[in-house]
Amino acid sequence: MIDQKRSGVLIARVISRFFLLMAIGVVILGQTSVSAQNQKAAAKAGAAAPGNSDNGKMVFTSQNCGSCHGADAQGGVGPLIGPPPGTMAQFVVSVRQPTGQMPAYSDKQVSDQEIADLYAYLKTMGSPAQAAVTLTGNAAHGKQIFTSYGCYQCHGYVGQGGAAGVRIAPPPISLKAVMAYIRQPTGQMPPYTSKVVSDQDVADIYAYLQSIPAPPPVKDIPLLNQ
Amino acid sequence: MAKSKKTTVDRRSFLKTAAGAAGLVAIPPVIQARPDDPKPRGVTPIMPKDAEVREPASVESLTTNRTGSDFMVDVIKALGFEYVIANPGSSFRGLHESLINYGDNKNPEFITCCHEESSIAMAHGYAKIEGKPALTLAHGTVGLQHATMGIYNAFCDRAPIYLIVGNSIDATMRRPGVEWDHSVQDSAAIVRDFTKWDDLPISLPHFAESAMRAYKIAMTPPMMPVVLVADSELQERPISDGEKFHIPKMTLTSPPQGDTGAVAEAARMLVAAENPVLIADRVGRTPAGMTHLVELAETLQAPVIDKAGRMNFPSRHPLNHSARAGRLIAGADVLLGLELTDFWGTVNSFTDQLHRSSKPITRAGAKLISITSGDLYDKSNYQDFQRYTEVDLAIAADAEATLPSLIEAVKMQLNNDRKSAFADRGQKLATAHHQAIEHVREEAAYGWDASPITTARLSAELWNAIKGEDWSLVSEPGAGGEWALRLWNFDKYYQFIGGSGGAGVGYGSPAAVGAALANRKHGRLSVNIQNDGDLMYAPGVLWTAAHHQIPLLSVMHNNHAYHQELMHIQRMANRHNRGIDRATIGTTITDPNIDFAKLAQSMGWYAEGPITDPKELGPSIQRAVAAVKRGQPALVDVSSQPR
Repeated sequence: MIDQKRSGVLIARVISRFFLLMAIGVVILGQTSVSAQNQKAAAKAGAAAPGNSDNGKMVFTSQNCGSCHGADAQGGVGPLIGPPPGTMAQFVVSVRQPTGQMPAYSDKQVSDQEIADLYAYLKTMGSPAQAAVTLTGNAAHGKQIFTSYGCYQCHGYVGQGGAAGVRIAPPPISLKAVMAYIRQPTGQMPPYTSKVVSDQDVADIYAYLQSIPAPPPVKDIPLLNQ
Repeated sequence: MAKSKKTTVDRRSFLKTAAGAAGLVAIPPVIQARPDDPKPRGVTPIMPKDAEVREPASVESLTTNRTGSDFMVDVIKALGFEYVIANPGSSFRGLHESLINYGDNKNPEFITCCHEESSIAMAHGYAKIEGKPALTLAHGTVGLQHATMGIYNAFCDRAPIYLIVGNSIDATMRRPGVEWDHSVQDSAAIVRDFTKWDDLPISLPHFAESAMRAYKIAMTPPMMPVVLVADSELQERPISDGEKFHIPKMTLTSPPQGDTGAVAEAARMLVAAENPVLIADRVGRTPAGMTHLVELAETLQAPVIDKAGRMNFPSRHPLNHSARAGRLIAGADVLLGLELTDFWGTVNSFTDQLHRSSKPITRAGAKLISITSGDLYDKSNYQDFQRYTEVDLAIAADAEATLPSLIEAVKMQLNNDRKSAFADRGQKLATAHHQAIEHVREEAAYGWDASPITTARLSAELWNAIKGEDWSLVSEPGAGGEWALRLWNFDKYYQFIGGSGGAGVGYGSPAAVGAALANRKHGRLSVNIQNDGDLMYAPGVLWTAAHHQIPLLSVMHNNHAYHQELMHIQRMANRHNRGIDRATIGTTITDPNIDFAKLAQSMGWYAEGPITDPKELGPSIQRAVAAVKRGQPALVDVSSQPR
């Protein structure tokens, strides 16, 4: 008989990862509103001494940031944070008062100085442009193999996500990060090694995902404002 | 023929008498022939000439005014069954005839099914709306074998199923041939591992007592299916005018409540917690379940994660934080699990890769409290009880029945400081709830105009069509990608019934019909998001709905596959670095695509489809709703995204 029970566990885990990625994606896209509390946290942390990247690396490891953000902070279940996309103040807020699924880190867990050190460490990890893969993708081919290789099964035909997989269109992380993640997924996603999906195939799929138009604003969809 | 002088006539003594008298009267061949005897082809038996002058056999020896099955119907009516849902079977022919004639086919009314899995699943859906079982019947062997899937689902879902199976226990009384294939020494053995109780009464008074006991056991939490075997001889045995049988009084058991001391300790932990989380799965056993859970959550100003095993908590209540489950569980210092089917899976993550691994998702030192009737009764063979969970306080009790005392215990421990802290927490939770709702709507917009149609679009269009009605969603939680649960406004007990329990595919369509049957007298619009693969297990239930005029709106989530299994095979292909483009072999339902609209129309439904353009979906659903309101079940086939 069909193994639905195990599948149910799979779906539950993927769902939790789905919300984690989406919520953190909201943060990384700059949708976090800065409340009075956030401003207070940012100001407090900003008073710390300039960060030490060596100490920051130890913090990154000891706090297990890589489990979500990838061993090299290039993203995974959580978004790319190396280098951090915002200011120091915004980084503090995203650690102390995350709005998504990321757990909050109080000053008892990570001190203000440790956050500053962590920020300094992440800034050493280079810009997305430097980390970019130089492959040029073919969106038409990417659309075809997005289906034939089974990506649509969890992520939907237009990468919109669903109960089994996170939204990946528009792609929230770099091509390099995507490539790294699908080769060595940290969550429930099955691995796509280079043996079955070449780097060029990945680039083509990435190009397809980039080609998918953004959705209309929610305010323009009456059915979503009921 | 010499007549028996006995006042009490049973079939055996009758037949003995008849056999003895056979030598005195030449019985015409037409009476002697047994129905099962094969006749030579092309030969029609005729009455011999001497039959005109022979004395005919006594009519009284071939008929009876009342039988054992009539009394069984008396017992069944005393139990208050509204419906008997069954596919017909000869092993309960006596009971069937008594139900429709002696019982006048009322209370219970006979609902005809084309498969026993359908009849059980219909009863399963019915029970979750009505809060009590329907009667089901099954042929003792082959019928019960068909029914086992439905029984297992109900067992896992802790739902009451009341099943009577027919059997012919006396070997000397069985007709040759098929009746032997359809007889068994121990009828209930095949399902004993996933039923709560079973019995084989050998007398009519015994039947009456066991029938009452079975009902009581089925309805005591944890509820589960029960089986009663009605021997065919007991059914068909004549009852003489002088025979009277007693029907015992039915007294339901009060549901078990939690130990007073343990409840007080749970209250102490919850009041003292800074970040308590309430996780509800099958709390809503009656309408009171949701009411009590709302009161507990509001008293504590604690977030509720609804795992949708039943209708547990209003979806747009500011304390409903099902969308933020992962984060809340990770940050909680006290977690209260209420009738959780899988507490371990709730507080641990499990990775299904080549080397499986798991880790807790709770923070160090988090305390777990469990209140579940599952701790009162479990069986060992089937592993639906999930993995053992290390909890700090385990209360073996029915959660809904325990909530009132827990609420009182919480209130007794509150002081002004805690009330102030709770108020502050509640404000933050309300803000977070609103943000989560907005986020869900933003996510629903992705792929809005895509074809195949996204499940978000499907759910939104359907909501638009039914939100003004007195509606009831009778689908499984996962149907339509769970978007209905995320987008719709659920605030009434009957608006959701949970899932199959055992995740046995094929539950969805018959359970929806059964729930719609229960909703019918309340005038509710029953709505079902129907998976294509599920419907194909036993589509004959569509005929049942049309024949019995059960109003139901089914909107297909047609992803043209057994998609769960497709993803599993994909995982295997990926893991083995081969055939990643071949997982569709053995898992998809294409080439040709099934025309579900024609299928439904062939069985008497109003139906449209397949719909591939999202712009056509809304108008199509509106037309289908109009058909349902006219009393006809309606189906809209929607070519949908996978999840």
